[in-house]
Amino acid sequence: MKSRHTVRFSIAAVLSVIFGYPLLWMVLTSFKSRAELEASAWSLPTRFYLGNFRDVLAMGHFGRYYLNSLLVCGVSVAVASLAAAAAAYAFARLRFRAKEALFLLLLSGMMIPVHVTLIPLHRMMSSMGLLNSPVALIGPYVAFALPVSTFILRAFFESLPREVEDAAQLDGCSPIGAFWHVALPLAAPALATVVIFNFVYMWNEFAFALTLTSGTATTLPVGIYEVSRSSFSTHVPGVTAGLTIGVIPGLIVYFIAQKHIVKGMTAGALGG
Amino acid sequence: MQSRRTVWLLLAPALGVYALFVLWPIIQSVRFSLFVGSDAVGGHFVRLLLRPDVRFFRALGNNVLLVLLSLLIQLPCAMGLALLLSGRLPGRGVFRTVFFAPMVIPTVAIGFLWRFIYQPGWQGGLLNQLLMLVGLGTVDWLGNPGIDLFAIIVTVSWRHVGFHTVIFLAGLQGIPEEIYEAARIDGATAWETFRDITLPMLRPVIAVSATLSLVGSLKYFDIFYVMSPVGGTRGSADLVTTYMYRTAFSALNYGYGSAIAVTLLVITLLVAVPAMRLLQGRRAQ
Repeated sequence: MKSRHTVRFSIAAVLSVIFGYPLLWMVLTSFKSRAELEASAWSLPTRFYLGNFRDVLAMGHFGRYYLNSLLVCGVSVAVASLAAAAAAYAFARLRFRAKEALFLLLLSGMMIPVHVTLIPLHRMMSSMGLLNSPVALIGPYVAFALPVSTFILRAFFESLPREVEDAAQLDGCSPIGAFWHVALPLAAPALATVVIFNFVYMWNEFAFALTLTSGTATTLPVGIYEVSRSSFSTHVPGVTAGLTIGVIPGLIVYFIAQKHIVKGMTAGALGG
Repeated sequence: MQSRRTVWLLLAPALGVYALFVLWPIIQSVRFSLFVGSDAVGGHFVRLLLRPDVRFFRALGNNVLLVLLSLLIQLPCAMGLALLLSGRLPGRGVFRTVFFAPMVIPTVAIGFLWRFIYQPGWQGGLLNQLLMLVGLGTVDWLGNPGIDLFAIIVTVSWRHVGFHTVIFLAGLQGIPEEIYEAARIDGATAWETFRDITLPMLRPVIAVSATLSLVGSLKYFDIFYVMSPVGGTRGSADLVTTYMYRTAFSALNYGYGSAIAVTLLVITLLVAVPAMRLLQGRRAQ
């Protein structure tokens, strides 16, 4: 039995080194000078060289990218979660005409390629003067987060016992009051899943951000894109420094809250 | 005491945003594809599908390859990892962290990182320097039309294997220990246990993974766009989405781009709706 554990451990160790090496290489290279890199891509940095970070911070507005990303993702996640919860509650508890058809219409958004909406949304934002403002991303982000969020939250509301809300309504609560004061607080675990799942997706979202924003108005992924593209062939360690700045804070959050993030991603993928 | 007003109040925010930012743009896309920049109504579709546009069909073929290879590479690898990580294993938490990390990193960063890995020797060029070290010749991974697509698919798989592993791990947790206990008492080998217990019990989550992988591969964009800025050599590394994006936003042909987008939507729905149905049927069982 002991030897079997050793074999498993060795396999896992070798695989994780191969798997994790690209990220390790990114961080290591960001501390190497250009000459060091050209001598060998595999060598370790010989000293703690910070010039690449200086260079890349002078090129890109990383503070702005982070701020924009936090703003867009924060607002979008909050709005999407609340709107989805309200709709999910109606789909789970109330009776109305065309309920199933409306639910299916909303659910079909999970399959629709976002790219079908890029050209019209580009025109729409351009005519509203929102092109090149991070605000332009909020609408599309909320819209494309709604299907999966509503799906998860409806399943959760359906699993709740009706009695609690019935009691609240007998005490004079309106259906909306029962939703807001009783069902929504009970849905905290499902809401956590929805928030985490959507935040990870929005934080990494590229296609909308690329189409609708640029310059200092853009979010982190497109910021990384613009900085990397501009010096890709001239300053490799500088680009890896930019990637490190853009990736490491997110990874640290992931390391700290790994359990919750993985749980949220799983529950999101499996529908709650 | 529910009234129409209550229903409306609860549904309006979600349906309103959805209609404005998903449904309305789709209607607009159809309109652009029919009426913008073509001589006759539907002219774009004639040029795209009937003439036909070779670049588009090459991109579509690449999408099909991406679908197949994603299923054939990612799911078995994820299954292996999930089995490895589900048992007793020292340092399991650390290993999980490493394998899941790529799924939370922006795809853009992954694309550029792997461009460096595939570079010709002198710039980054991690892979080629390794090949030279062991005495083999170098390969222009992203500049070679027979290879670029597969090189990028490796990167895409690196990003997504962790995601499917997470799903499979959740499925493995749902299998009661007693069944394995019974199999052990019956003297089943490891392979028999896997074939007769693990695999059938995991069927629902495998179906979820396969569906997500299928739908995701059909509308894939990010890593291909970053790693192959012009879509390879004559479209060798183009996907339908990247071809559409370049047509609309680089060549500024909105009408033709919309026609590509609408065609993609139809194809995705034709494939995804039966897949989802199948999945729902499986779930109901």
